[in-house]
Amino acid sequence: MSQLGQVVGILRKLNEEYQISTPKKLKLIDAYLVYVLLTGIIQFAYCLLVGTFPFNSFLSGFISTVGCFILAASLRIQLNKANQSTFNVTPERAFADFVFAHIILHLVVMNFIG
Amino acid sequence: MTSTSFMMIIFMILPIFSWCATSTVAANLSPANLDGLKAQFQTAMKSFSDVASLHYTLAGIKELGVQPPDSFCNDIKKLVDKSNIESIYHATEAAKTLANCKLPVEDYRSVVTSTLQSDKSTTSEIYYAVSSSVNLGLTVDEASIEKRLNTLAKTDDSILSQGYALLTGAQLSQPVAKFYADTVNDLVQQADEIDGRTLQYEGGVGTTALLVSAFYEVAEKAGAAMKIDPKQLHKFASYFSTKRHVATLRSAYYLTKVFKYLSDNKNTMPVVVTRVSPSAISAQNPSVLVSVSNLLGQPVGEISVVAESAKRKDDGVVVISKQKLTSKASDFSVFELPFYDTKIPRGFYTIHLTLTPRGDGKLIGLTDNTIDVKVTSEGAIENAELSVSDRDNTAQAKTYKLTYPNVQSEKLELDYHQKLVLKFQIKDKRTGEFIRVQQAFLRFTNKKSNKEIIYLAEATDGSNSQYKVEVDLQTNANDFRHQSGAYNAALILGDQLLQNAYEWKLNDNIQLSFHEDSQADKNHQNLYVPRPEIVHQFRLDEVRPPTVVSLVFSALTLLPLLILFILWIKLGFNLSGLPLGLSPLGFHISHGAVFALMFFYWKYLDMFQTIRYLALISIPLFIFGHRVLATLAARREKKA
Repeated sequence: MSQLGQVVGILRKLNEEYQISTPKKLKLIDAYLVYVLLTGIIQFAYCLLVGTFPFNSFLSGFISTVGCFILAASLRIQLNKANQSTFNVTPERAFADFVFAHIILHLVVMNFIG
Repeated sequence: MTSTSFMMIIFMILPIFSWCATSTVAANLSPANLDGLKAQFQTAMKSFSDVASLHYTLAGIKELGVQPPDSFCNDIKKLVDKSNIESIYHATEAAKTLANCKLPVEDYRSVVTSTLQSDKSTTSEIYYAVSSSVNLGLTVDEASIEKRLNTLAKTDDSILSQGYALLTGAQLSQPVAKFYADTVNDLVQQADEIDGRTLQYEGGVGTTALLVSAFYEVAEKAGAAMKIDPKQLHKFASYFSTKRHVATLRSAYYLTKVFKYLSDNKNTMPVVVTRVSPSAISAQNPSVLVSVSNLLGQPVGEISVVAESAKRKDDGVVVISKQKLTSKASDFSVFELPFYDTKIPRGFYTIHLTLTPRGDGKLIGLTDNTIDVKVTSEGAIENAELSVSDRDNTAQAKTYKLTYPNVQSEKLELDYHQKLVLKFQIKDKRTGEFIRVQQAFLRFTNKKSNKEIIYLAEATDGSNSQYKVEVDLQTNANDFRHQSGAYNAALILGDQLLQNAYEWKLNDNIQLSFHEDSQADKNHQNLYVPRPEIVHQFRLDEVRPPTVVSLVFSALTLLPLLILFILWIKLGFNLSGLPLGLSPLGFHISHGAVFALMFFYWKYLDMFQTIRYLALISIPLFIFGHRVLATLAARREKKA
């Protein structure tokens, strides 16, 4: 039981740190990430439930969520001021890359959705 | 497998004539099928439908020595088409074969002359016209014809055209014929060689025979011998001798002509060597008889035949070397080679013969002639014994000695715990050694239903080759379908090299009792009854979930969007910071347009159209986006 208590304690500390030190912009993106994750989970659960019949449609939907997640995550990394030293891009440039990559992702997903 | 007739066929065929499948194809020529050709012409003579058949049949039958009656003259006149040069040609040629048939020359003169003068005539038409002119007694302008043929030789180099040119040359004067006779060698080079043994022209037997007889015809007119390599002539002869049946009358006629040329004493003649004695050599048939003739079956003059070697097929042992054959006929057409000898063991032999003519060398095909024979021997069944014993071998076995051809008189009764064993050996009467045969069967026949059950007798390895067959009434009960009753037993022996086959009835009265109830005989007729119809089944659709489930989950997928908006609002989505103006507006509109395009892509468009629209939209998107971001960057710089 003490182990569980320890885990809960750690999680609470993590949550506090997060709320305090993360800038608002990044929190917005984190919310978006959670949304995309939930959508992906629901799609996967549906596939497990009823089988993979239009497999291409399942794949395209799932890959769409995965792709969005990855792109949003990379946007978050690039916007994080703590990483300014590693990446040398302006936030605007990061956002433009984000939009461009999304257009390509959506093109591929729409092609595959059938 | 169990029908009596099948066994009888095997029993009869094997010792008499059996190795066709194993013999190699001989390189020898075979005599022409003159009877077949004659029959073909005679059948055709019964009714004619066109003048070409008339020509080929009458000319063909005349070549074979039968003079057609003059009554056909009316048929010729009736069937000829006066406006067609080919028809006229056939008519005049047919009339030539009859003793007294005069055709009205004036009817044909105009067509003949117009064909000869026209620039559009092909080589065959020129030949027909020249031939008809010669047959009808019209004059022929040789110079213009030569010129025409030379022009045609440049434009039409097909093999048949060249053949017709040769035939036309043979109808003209000697110098012209000599010119064409010199081209024969070139034409021979254009023939196709098959397997290194035959030569033929494209177009089959009719074309090849036409060409080769044209060679002879033009050489004859030129007064010189035909210039052709004897080996190539032999290959042509080989091709012709394989044609036993020809389909058309044209092919039959030209084939007959070429056979006559190839059997003419004046020309180089291929020699045909065939075996006329039966293929099996035994004490009753001790010699091989060989016939030497030309392609038409006529003798070729004084000739001596030597058997260079006789080799056994399976191990190449040479049993005869350089032995001269004795002539049996005064015209040197049949020769004999004694072959049966105690020193020559049984087996299949190939005899190589070489011929040496007395006169000068106008004969070809003198070497490379082979004859296949087989040496058989009589066999004797020895030490045959039938024993009945218990399956477990505990009780003493009762053994009966059997002698061929006696039938065992004792009645045998076998129970399901007994077994029957038959042992025997076969001895070659000539050499005294025990041999193995290709077929050794023990056959039981159910006396009531006449069904047969056959077992294979197997021989032990080694020199004593004892055959044994065992029938156990418990393990083999299924073969008999557990049908108890009276049975006959017979021993069947046969071999290609065994002179006499055996069907020896061993015992007429064997009572077999099986343990289980008898099963009915399998009705083999049911194999040929129509089978149940197979109904085609299309591929079944994939199993899909009910629509309700899909809709519920679609709604569930949109749920996180709600959660997202709630979270954003809680976090304080800074909508007030949105810049307003043309550029932001343009940016948002073009961004929205891209998503709309995605939707249209899914529903209506294909990739190429989408790419084009995307390229179009991305220009304003880029411009406006750049401006908006620049504004935002400037704002951020100002703040910092």
